[in-house]
Amino acid sequence: MIFNELSNRRTFLRRMAKLSAMAAATAMFPGIMFPNEQLAAIPNGSIDWKKAPCRFCGVGCGVLVGIQQGKAVAVKGDPKSSVNKGLCCVKGYHSIMALYGADRLTKPLVKENGKYVEKTMDEALQLIAEKMKETIKDYGKDSVSIYGSGQWTIPDGYVASKLFKGCIGTNNVEANARLCMASAVTGFMSSFGIDEPMGCYEDIDHANVFVLWGNNMAEMHPVLFSRLLDQRMNRGSKIVDFATRTTRTSTAADKSIMFKPQTDLAVANSICYEIVNNGWVNERFIENHCNFSKGLTNIGYGMEDKYSFQDKPEMIDFDTYKEFLKDYSPEKVEKISGVSARDIKYMASLYGDPNVKVMSLWCMGANQHTRGTWINNLIYNIHLLTGKISSPGNSPFSLTGQPSACGTVREVGTLTHKLPHGVVMNEEHRKEAAKIWDVPINNIDPKPSYHTVEMFRALDRGEIRFMWIQVTNPMVTMPKLKRYRDAAKKEGRFIVVSDIYPTPTTDIADVILPSACWIEREGMYGNSERRTQYFEQMIEPPGQAISDTWQIVEVARRMGFGKQFAYKKETHIEEIYNEYRRFHDNKKHNMAPLEVLKSQPGAMWPYVDGKSTKWRFNAAYDPACTQGEFDFYGKPDHRAVIWQRPYEQAAEEPDADYPFWLNTGRVIEHWHTGSMTRRIPVLHKAMPQAYVELNPEDAMKMGIQNGDPVKLTSRRGDIILPASINERGMPVRGQVFVPFFDEGMLINEITLDAFCPISKQPDYKKCAVKITKA
Amino acid sequence: MSIKSYIVHPVPGRKSQLIFQLSKMSSCEVVAAENKDILILVTDTSTKEEDDELLSKINELDHLSMLTMVSGFNTTSN
Amino acid sequence: MKRLFIIGLFLSMVVAVFTTSIFSYQTSKEGANVVEQSNGILLPQEAGVFERFYSSTHYAEMPMSDDSGRNLDDYYANRAYYGAPPYIPHEVVDEISIGADNCLKCHKNGGWVPKFEAYAPVVPHPEKTSCRQCHVTNKSEGVFKVNEFQGARAPQLSITALPGSPPAIPHALFMRENCLSCHAGPSTPSEIRVSHPERVNCRQCHAHNETSVSINNVFARDGYQVDQ
Repeated sequence: MIFNELSNRRTFLRRMAKLSAMAAATAMFPGIMFPNEQLAAIPNGSIDWKKAPCRFCGVGCGVLVGIQQGKAVAVKGDPKSSVNKGLCCVKGYHSIMALYGADRLTKPLVKENGKYVEKTMDEALQLIAEKMKETIKDYGKDSVSIYGSGQWTIPDGYVASKLFKGCIGTNNVEANARLCMASAVTGFMSSFGIDEPMGCYEDIDHANVFVLWGNNMAEMHPVLFSRLLDQRMNRGSKIVDFATRTTRTSTAADKSIMFKPQTDLAVANSICYEIVNNGWVNERFIENHCNFSKGLTNIGYGMEDKYSFQDKPEMIDFDTYKEFLKDYSPEKVEKISGVSARDIKYMASLYGDPNVKVMSLWCMGANQHTRGTWINNLIYNIHLLTGKISSPGNSPFSLTGQPSACGTVREVGTLTHKLPHGVVMNEEHRKEAAKIWDVPINNIDPKPSYHTVEMFRALDRGEIRFMWIQVTNPMVTMPKLKRYRDAAKKEGRFIVVSDIYPTPTTDIADVILPSACWIEREGMYGNSERRTQYFEQMIEPPGQAISDTWQIVEVARRMGFGKQFAYKKETHIEEIYNEYRRFHDNKKHNMAPLEVLKSQPGAMWPYVDGKSTKWRFNAAYDPACTQGEFDFYGKPDHRAVIWQRPYEQAAEEPDADYPFWLNTGRVIEHWHTGSMTRRIPVLHKAMPQAYVELNPEDAMKMGIQNGDPVKLTSRRGDIILPASINERGMPVRGQVFVPFFDEGMLINEITLDAFCPISKQPDYKKCAVKITKA
Repeated sequence: MSIKSYIVHPVPGRKSQLIFQLSKMSSCEVVAAENKDILILVTDTSTKEEDDELLSKINELDHLSMLTMVSGFNTTSN
Repeated sequence: MKRLFIIGLFLSMVVAVFTTSIFSYQTSKEGANVVEQSNGILLPQEAGVFERFYSSTHYAEMPMSDDSGRNLDDYYANRAYYGAPPYIPHEVVDEISIGADNCLKCHKNGGWVPKFEAYAPVVPHPEKTSCRQCHVTNKSEGVFKVNEFQGARAPQLSITALPGSPPAIPHALFMRENCLSCHAGPSTPSEIRVSHPERVNCRQCHAHNETSVSINNVFARDGYQVDQ
């Protein structure tokens, strides 16, 4: 434009002059077009659309966030993302609203004489650094700890690990992903020697059958579930729901099969029995690519303090394994599991048919399980026996629940035994980490310390005195909650909480730091299919809030680790990511360069020669393969392991005093503890509070009507909830279900802190309760 | 100030040259039709003298075939 | 010898025809739904533009001025921002369902619903059957905590460059390719109801003005610099 914009009136007149000339031209020359002018006339132009991965679950949908005058105003699915292909779920569409709750934390708060006092960010960070140094001086380096989550971006988790493991020298680094997918990790490690799924979401476009193992995908991974539904409509794929409770997924599935809690172990073995006995085993695959092993049995439930367990794997042969399977004929398992022999045979026949491509999907049902590692192993067994793995459409697929459970907790390794590459127990891995981190090698402790449950127990016992909690809400999510809440409130414990809203966890904090959330800062997430996705800072965080990464960097500098944390504020995310990539500089795990992540909706590792790897262990797709058609290179002998794992009972089963199973879980509207989604009016109005789902017959017997207050009592405590009958889900008789999002009705007050001895992941799906009309 | 709009016919085949010449002149805004050899020209000048001068300069352009005024606004007050 | 050759040729042709047809049958079955990702900007899908055209002549016969339907204020009242999926303003039959036929019974083709005394709005994407994935009910009043979100607002209606020229499409086309479902029929907000539903090829005249990644990507021709 050559004109000066003198006034609105002048602009208006000029526009009128232009329009009348165009109108005259249109009359004189029919069909004449002024395309740019026509478009510019529409006042929609000020929204700027920027790409990001969704803030919520582990599916990792690509979203486009509409930014207008410094505010996020709209969301749509990114049609260029291969994950969701333009579709989102109700949480994703309303995700930006979670940034605008009126009670956002904007100033650091420090508890002084029982009251919170506003401080500057500088004062608060200085206080944290001093408190940490003092605690280490008084109680040793293992008295300080950090507890994060799978919502940590990759740089957040990386600097946390570097500060605690590298600089301070304690392995007290854990994340709530321990409560979420630790069993998936140990499952992968024991079966394949390397973590994370071999396949990817594209398997959905090839599979003929989807078997969902205790996974209410319609509510928990809705966008992927819609992809299954699309495949059913377009190609006639089948969906089999194998679960303990009737849900939306069951009603949408082609077949719904119900089993008694914990007996999935027996059914999985029974499917293997059928595969072996009907000659459906892929002999060549087994011979070339698999070993058989067994581990310890009767391994306990970890309910006592300082419980420790180490599995002792022992090689066996195929015949021994066949002998073991004889206890699991469909007829025998029918009696244990309540699944008819016919249904077991039906499932086995789907897996056994060489012309059917099967995808197994699971999430919390298999992972939050006192034998979580085992059930993960057993599902892999089925796929390994039939050779249905690592090829398009044949895929055992472990889903995740947090945006970066894979990217941060599993890949960066923010668990007590992990390093960004490898484990603390391995000297080579320690050396590599020490070199990249620029710390002395003996700074890194070769002994893992506490896993999550034990970490909170140590806080209770007084071995841990300082805990920094970032992006998670353990005072809603810990099982047997009361013990750990009381622990945190004890004298002489110092708790720092970084969050964006007040939660039950900030209630126990000595220092509350306001954090920048999602698109208020720069970062990356890694989703369930090994896809790393980048997002830029799009809007300013409120008040004094800063990113979790920068909080840790600032504290590290104040503790005297300026040399290791010499990042520049403007470029620190890029510097940290590039430093982190050095850990994975090999064909098995190479991460895509940042420029690639910026230019496209993510890339899948191993990213080799400018290409994402879709199917690992398959020589046709994976450049890391060195021998044969398939190469399970995670194991030293390049063979995957088929595990002999028996059925064992749950830690606490219903009895005469406590006759009902209690199952806990989520709903589509709320994400985890609801600290974000409950602040979104659309979602809160759709799902305002928790409830207890009862089987209609049980309810009728006890005279309980929909909405009646019901008291649930376990050995740990009691809670009153409104009854829900014939609503969102229907438990089988003898079972109740309660969602855990509601901080006003904390179901975890009465859950059990039993965990899988191998993965240390608690089982939130099974404990015994009694029910009375309140 | 006066604001005027015109329909401009370039010499056949010289449309893009004319657009270039016009868009270089201050106080001219040009909108080109996509599918016809027609331009819309809006002129915005502060005084009558300036306007006359601009018009004569436009008329001298060798790629210009014909100029038709469509509308004009003239407001002397602020 | 010649006869043998002819028989052989004939046989091989039979085999060839047989294998080709089997092969093409097999390939037609598998992998038909894999969407290849291109690096360029994806154009909005064209499928669905002509959906519902069979109703268009009926729509054309319907009276245009009736007030029985919704207006735009109603339309935006149950959306958090311009472009957000609307929540369900009425009670639902079955909480345990993903939606599917329960919802599509009324929302696939629309029509008068005596229970709610209203015309059911027609869904522009009936092929997506997990309705409750994006559309939630509204069970309670009040909020958990006050939210200060201010969403994108709808553009003004009928802003066109020229008086009388067809307005451009201001919204995203993904899952909204089927124009008539929202712009024709009795449940349509009267302000955006099209006066000529019988002309089914909407995008012949109505340009799409909604960009896929950044508004800076609006199509613009390079400058007109030429040699003098």
